[in-house]
Amino acid sequence: MTPVRRFLCAWLVSFPLAWDSCGVQAAFSQAMDSDFTLNLPAGRKECFYQTMKRDASLEIEYQVLDGAGLDVDFSIFSPSGQLLFNDQRKSDGVHTVETEDGDYMFCFDNTFSTVSDKLVFFELILDNMDTDEDPENWKEYVHGIDTLDMKLEDIMDTINNVKARLSKSVQIQTLLRAFEARDRNIQESNFERVNFWSVVNLVVMVMVSGVQVYLVRSLFEDKKKIRT
Amino acid sequence: MNMTAGETEKKCFIEEIPDETMVIGKYRTQLWDKQSGSFLPATPGLGMHVEIKDPDTKIILSRQYGSDGRFTFTSHTPGEHQICLHSNSTKMALFAGGKLRVHLDIQVGEHTNNYPEIAAKDKLTELQLRVRQLLDQVEQIQKEQNYQRYREERFRMTSESTNQRVLWWSITQTLILIITGIWQMKHLKSFFEAKKLV
Repeated sequence: MTPVRRFLCAWLVSFPLAWDSCGVQAAFSQAMDSDFTLNLPAGRKECFYQTMKRDASLEIEYQVLDGAGLDVDFSIFSPSGQLLFNDQRKSDGVHTVETEDGDYMFCFDNTFSTVSDKLVFFELILDNMDTDEDPENWKEYVHGIDTLDMKLEDIMDTINNVKARLSKSVQIQTLLRAFEARDRNIQESNFERVNFWSVVNLVVMVMVSGVQVYLVRSLFEDKKKIRT
Repeated sequence: MNMTAGETEKKCFIEEIPDETMVIGKYRTQLWDKQSGSFLPATPGLGMHVEIKDPDTKIILSRQYGSDGRFTFTSHTPGEHQICLHSNSTKMALFAGGKLRVHLDIQVGEHTNNYPEIAAKDKLTELQLRVRQLLDQVEQIQKEQNYQRYREERFRMTSESTNQRVLWWSITQTLILIITGIWQMKHLKSFFEAKKLV
């Protein structure tokens, strides 16, 4: 391994996202965006950590997809423990942080709710987290001769452009998926609610009418007894 | 992304994915060391149990992995898959603190492709490799969009069904109310007539 590669390997190992040994086959690309959906039980608080380098940016976007009022408390702390953002009972939100070295902690808090679980979706978008090794890696493994170097540069630029835009499309798609999931969950709970309360309403109505008739009848029967 | 897990605490994540999509999950665990006040780099003997359920809550993967693990599955039905991890060991109570830090990374679809490997196997030039990557990305977007269309259709059906039911139940309830009212009046009238009060 060349010294540069060895140095990059050592640096990569310190990333939580790229722990695998820098073996030839095993190196995996750094995930720049990752999204997670989790079920937050009632009265629970879940915290997650993200290790960042300085001068990078961390964007976190979250949405509540299901569960009663569709709200959750969100807070994000810097590595020194300082509270950066605090959202109280919001349904969705997005925050961008210019980072320094260390572990950022962000928490979803459902302690205010005693009964309902919340389905929370969040997406982490990391920027400027050092993409130097990327072309390095690829150049290692490709074969074949690339003639017409000058023109190739232009084509490469265009391709990189297209790739960036497609990544953005994927991000937007993920977002739309979250929105749709939330709307669908709302509708499904509406559906169940309509069914349930309609049946209850029906039963109550019939019972009440029966009870009314019985009461009125019983009133008159008593009076009759008193008269005789 | 890392998180803290207690002993045998189950951490579950939901991934909504189209069918025939490969998902690779990678995790790394670290144990909290009270003496040094930090997380130990490697913990031998500590394993994580990974359980993956498909949208019909059928278990498609249930396996034990070591302290660093990598699991893969391919979805056969579109929908919400649930990925659960929990540590199996009870030995953690012996280690002071009992806190476990889990680094987790889940990659879906075209992110699972290992491009250096593909380049070496198919002997692609850099240009060809980049174009191949773009094609994979577009294919994934297309698959996701198709799945989105299917979900939107289901959503629309639920909405229309709810709408219909609201209408139908309202009419039925109004009719029942009217019928009950008429019955009450008739019954009471005949009752009073029988009792010679009217």
